[in-house]
Amino acid sequence: MGIKDALLKAYDVHYKKFMVFSFLLLLVCIISLGVSYARTGELFQKGVSLKGGITMTIPVDQSVDIHSLESSLSSRYPSADIGVREITEAGVSTAIIVEASDISVEDLQSALPELGIALEEGKYSIESMGSSLGQRFFSQTIKSLIYAFIFMAIVVFLTFRSIIPSSFVILAAVSDIISTLAVINLLGMKMSTAGIAALLMLIGYSVDTDILLTTKVLKRKGEGGTVFQRTASALRTGLTMTITALVASIIGLIFTQSDIIRQIMTITTIGLIFDIIYTWFQNAGILRWYMERKNGN
Amino acid sequence: MEIKRMLTNFRVIILLICLVLGLFAINPRPWNEGVAIKSIARNSSAELGGFENPKANLAPMARERIIAMNNKPVVDLEDYFALTSKLEPNQTVQIKTNKGSYRLVAKPKFLVTELNETEIIFVNETVEVNETINGTLVLFNKTITRELEQPKILTEIIGIEPLGFSVDNAPKSNLRKGLDLQGGTRVLLKPAEEVSSETMSLMIDSLKERLNVYGLGDIVVTEVSDSPAFLGGGNRFILVEIAGATEDEVRDLLGKQGKFEARIGNASVFKGGNDVTYVCRTAQCSGLDPNRGCGQSQEGWGCSFMFSITLSPEAAQRQADLTDNLFVSGDTLSEQLVLYLDDQEVDRLSIAADLKGRAVTDIAITGGGQGASEQAAMEDALKNMKRLQTILITGSLPVKINVERIDNISPTLGKEFLSNAVYVGLFALLAVAIVLMLVYRKVVIAFPIIFTAISEIFLTLAMAALIGWNIDLAAIAGIILAIGTGVNDQVVITDEAIRRESDDAYNWKERIKRAFFIIFSAYLTIVVAMLPLLFAGAGLLKGFAITTILAVTIGVLITRPAYAAIVQMLLEK
Repeated sequence: MGIKDALLKAYDVHYKKFMVFSFLLLLVCIISLGVSYARTGELFQKGVSLKGGITMTIPVDQSVDIHSLESSLSSRYPSADIGVREITEAGVSTAIIVEASDISVEDLQSALPELGIALEEGKYSIESMGSSLGQRFFSQTIKSLIYAFIFMAIVVFLTFRSIIPSSFVILAAVSDIISTLAVINLLGMKMSTAGIAALLMLIGYSVDTDILLTTKVLKRKGEGGTVFQRTASALRTGLTMTITALVASIIGLIFTQSDIIRQIMTITTIGLIFDIIYTWFQNAGILRWYMERKNGN
Repeated sequence: MEIKRMLTNFRVIILLICLVLGLFAINPRPWNEGVAIKSIARNSSAELGGFENPKANLAPMARERIIAMNNKPVVDLEDYFALTSKLEPNQTVQIKTNKGSYRLVAKPKFLVTELNETEIIFVNETVEVNETINGTLVLFNKTITRELEQPKILTEIIGIEPLGFSVDNAPKSNLRKGLDLQGGTRVLLKPAEEVSSETMSLMIDSLKERLNVYGLGDIVVTEVSDSPAFLGGGNRFILVEIAGATEDEVRDLLGKQGKFEARIGNASVFKGGNDVTYVCRTAQCSGLDPNRGCGQSQEGWGCSFMFSITLSPEAAQRQADLTDNLFVSGDTLSEQLVLYLDDQEVDRLSIAADLKGRAVTDIAITGGGQGASEQAAMEDALKNMKRLQTILITGSLPVKINVERIDNISPTLGKEFLSNAVYVGLFALLAVAIVLMLVYRKVVIAFPIIFTAISEIFLTLAMAALIGWNIDLAAIAGIILAIGTGVNDQVVITDEAIRRESDDAYNWKERIKRAFFIIFSAYLTIVVAMLPLLFAGAGLLKGFAITTILAVTIGVLITRPAYAAIVQMLLEK
């Protein structure tokens, strides 16, 4: 109990420092995204499902040198944008994924067997999408992300009927998404439509701890206790929530075989970690500061 | 006592009733045997034997299953293929299904080869003759036998035609697996220009017809749009989903507008669809072209095909009028009949001199195929023939369509994904249970949380089975999300319940009410965040959004209240 109490005490005494830390973190993430945007013109790297191209999933029974495969494919088709990834299940590779833009399915189908990747009829999958459709998908998914935010904001405002605490909740969700995007970008992960879906999932996960916190602090003044005591009570519940979600998401990340689920799990894992920071450092801090100022103590 | 109180609680009873109803909806039969009939080919032995093509939206368990063939049991696909491979031409096949018994006759498969020699055959012909009988000139019909010399044709039986069933292993439940879990082809098509709703449904019908004529029954063709109708509709697409392994040419068939036209000079003689009343598809009048055959060129091999069609009288008259103006040069006429498919030339035919000005309704359509070897060229020619025949029968689409996206998912990969997803899910649940036991230091708390989570998965699947929704990877992701928020909500409820012991300011009802305030707000944010996704990406993310909304709704309305009741009783002692 000693460590726990010490941590709680530090959290109580230094909450403003933690709050400043969370804002600095947000600033760093915004700068990182901004730099990448200035350099590439995009907020994140788009996978073929958002820009058009071919995805081939080929099962393999032994480990394949994906880097040499990628470089031989790229040297063979210099104008194409080719990436090779590997799907592993608990460390054992089970399939490779070739993602390529500006190349025809036939070229890819003829090149792979020559590089030692056997293509057995019916055993591998090909997904191919036109680039105009990819562009459209991209702009639509971005739009749906923005709409989702607006709708979420309306629900939050209706829930608390109080503009300032509601905007703290929304700020926390926005910070969470921005920081997650920044990390995805640093990892060089190519976003697919599933990735956008994961960001939407994240809005849900991020907001529910913030709603929990704000409800406890705002709506339960009658329960007595200081703002901090009510925050601490919410903290226990909220951390249990986030940690169970995090554990499930990490397990999914390690053991899944599907590329789609893997991307979703990677994004939720990153996002949930940020959620802890933005809920309990940023939102809790700013809310406490606001409440204490308002109540004049 | 505890158990009895729990089982008589109103909220728990509702959950239990829903679970039982869900069991009926899913209808699991893990030991179901036989092969399920997915579709019946036209004019096949199966159709002639009385089988009917099942509707595409039939619940999996409602499909007819073949359970025995010639009194031998059919347990799975392997049995089915083993038994059908042993059938002899013209053999009577007894088929027993779960709904009745049928008798089919296995149609023999012929190989028709035209030999390089001729034979004399005798044909009976009826001719009108004038004869004087008893001093009167009368006109009457007389049958005479004529001698004809024609190329010798060798007809061999080379096995049997397929019975015409498209089958799959017997379903074990009413759950439908989506394309990415069972394998198959998904094609997203977009009309090249703006079309009205009527045109769109016309195109959908015509594509369905095309695939059916081609021999595929188990297909789904739907219209999707990337913006809701009340916001103007946005871009409209046609989504075609074909389950199982699909041949390449099916995809060719979908992307074609299918505008077939035969022209002489610049004038149109006939088009696919209404001008063509019959297209021969049997071995007797369609196949490799015996007159042209296969030949080798610098690029490889090339083969020709031909099949006969019957023109409508109007089209035949058009041809007569057009050929009437042509000159005879040698054996043929001065202009050729040129065949176009989607404005690309397929073949050109010389017109025999004696056809000048005649309204012939029976004509032969030809074309070719290429390949690296003679065998490959033959196969290519026959594929092209089948495609052309299909297009001629079903006619052209009103506007051009573009293939925007093709996904071809291997059935074996899909199967692996599914089993993997199931065990990852179970593993994750187990880990969550362990975390919760550690947090609450009460083993008993983890059970209702896990039980509720599993009930939620089960009820979501049952709902999907009920409304005919496909479970695909996106849906699994949605279920994961919903279960995650479900566990979160249960943590909120549990914490409220536990805190009661230390703080008695509020009664139980008040606490649960406040827990549900948080739960409902979180629920609403998830639902509204998912709404835009219903339409983005031409509906391809719809599965994710719908499953999530479905699962969290079931959670909030059914399982969460039951969980609250169970926890209350568990902690009250």
